[in-house]
Amino acid sequence: MSDSDTDSLGALRSLPVPQVRPMSDALERELAMLAPVATRRPTRQLVIVASISLIYACGLVAVLSVRRDVAELPPVWFVSSTILRLLGFLTLCYLALTPRRGTMVHRWKPAAVLVIAVAITFVAFGLLFHPSGPSSLYYGWPRFYRGHHCIEIALAVSALPVGLCIVFLRGAVPVKARWILAAAGAAAGCLGGIVLSFYCRVADGLHVGLIHGGVIAVSATLTALLGHRAG
Amino acid sequence: MAKYCGGDARAFHQLYLVVAPRLLGYLVKLARDRSAADDLLQLTFMKVHRARSAYIVGADPLPWIYSIAHRSFIDHARKMQRAAKTFVHTSQHVQPDPDIPGEADGESGDNDQAMLTSTLDALAQLPRVQREAIVLIKLEGKTVSEAAEIAGTTVGAMRVRAHRGYVALRVALEHGPPTEDLEERAP
Repeated sequence: MSDSDTDSLGALRSLPVPQVRPMSDALERELAMLAPVATRRPTRQLVIVASISLIYACGLVAVLSVRRDVAELPPVWFVSSTILRLLGFLTLCYLALTPRRGTMVHRWKPAAVLVIAVAITFVAFGLLFHPSGPSSLYYGWPRFYRGHHCIEIALAVSALPVGLCIVFLRGAVPVKARWILAAAGAAAGCLGGIVLSFYCRVADGLHVGLIHGGVIAVSATLTALLGHRAG
Repeated sequence: MAKYCGGDARAFHQLYLVVAPRLLGYLVKLARDRSAADDLLQLTFMKVHRARSAYIVGADPLPWIYSIAHRSFIDHARKMQRAAKTFVHTSQHVQPDPDIPGEADGESGDNDQAMLTSTLDALAQLPRVQREAIVLIKLEGKTVSEAAEIAGTTVGAMRVRAHRGYVALRVALEHGPPTEDLEERAP
């Protein structure tokens, strides 16, 4: 910038601070009823969301019953896919609920990157690795539409962690709230994916990739769109 | 802030005394309308009050409060756009506002005053995102990363906005206000 521009901005910077008018009546009325409130504890909220959600997911698996072909699948695939989804769930929950130490501003950039990466990874993972056994089912393209049942189950699993996150984040994220909500939704989608991998015995790549993997993107999108209104 | 969350209304008054002038200065420079800035200030504090349970003990609340003010300003600007009102006034449309520093004596012939007025006019001509970048970084003294945090954008994008804003401001100061309306050009 030229000297004159710098001078102009300097003159603006040195302007006297405007006189603040008294607080509005509405604000005064609210202050008259001021009551102590519990402040946010992000780590505690993270522990609450993670533990309640995992207990809920385990309960749902017990109610829905474990897939019949579970013993026929390679344990390495089963364990690695569960651990990956669990890691996705915990990391995304962490990013959604805890701001950087010493600040109140949430890390929406890493959250956004991770949401996209996790959504793509699990679709690709499902398309590439979808082991099956004699008791597994195959839908393929002709019966692909029947996968809506799995999406409904995954969204039912997602509802609890998403609801908890929305309650905990109320008023805490003034900017880029959609990405933070998307992170919460994607985390819940990862949990939904875990439940599906224990419950659903459809083992074709399209179903495992696009439905079981796609629930992360669906849950993230729905949470970003609907949660924004709720929160 | 912690005392205020604990139910101490005096602590809120202290917070208001400390933060409100800075926030009002920021909002006046952004909105270029004293009464709108006053309303936005009250709205910001109302939102802070209602969301006070979101406070994290030990955290710096200022960037969060600025973000709320920023969000309130954007909502206000969009509402004004929807109402088909011209939000960015040209110098011909602006009526001197005695409450905005640098406007009341705009025709006094004083060089400094004229420079202030022309700078404020040039600033008002900038697209919203560039104006935000210049107000936050150059006038409010925030670092680029703080400004990016408040505006909810990346450090790189904030740098680009500030640079484009400086260039546009320089052009406006050298050649007077542009004739065509500047579009909102987010990088």
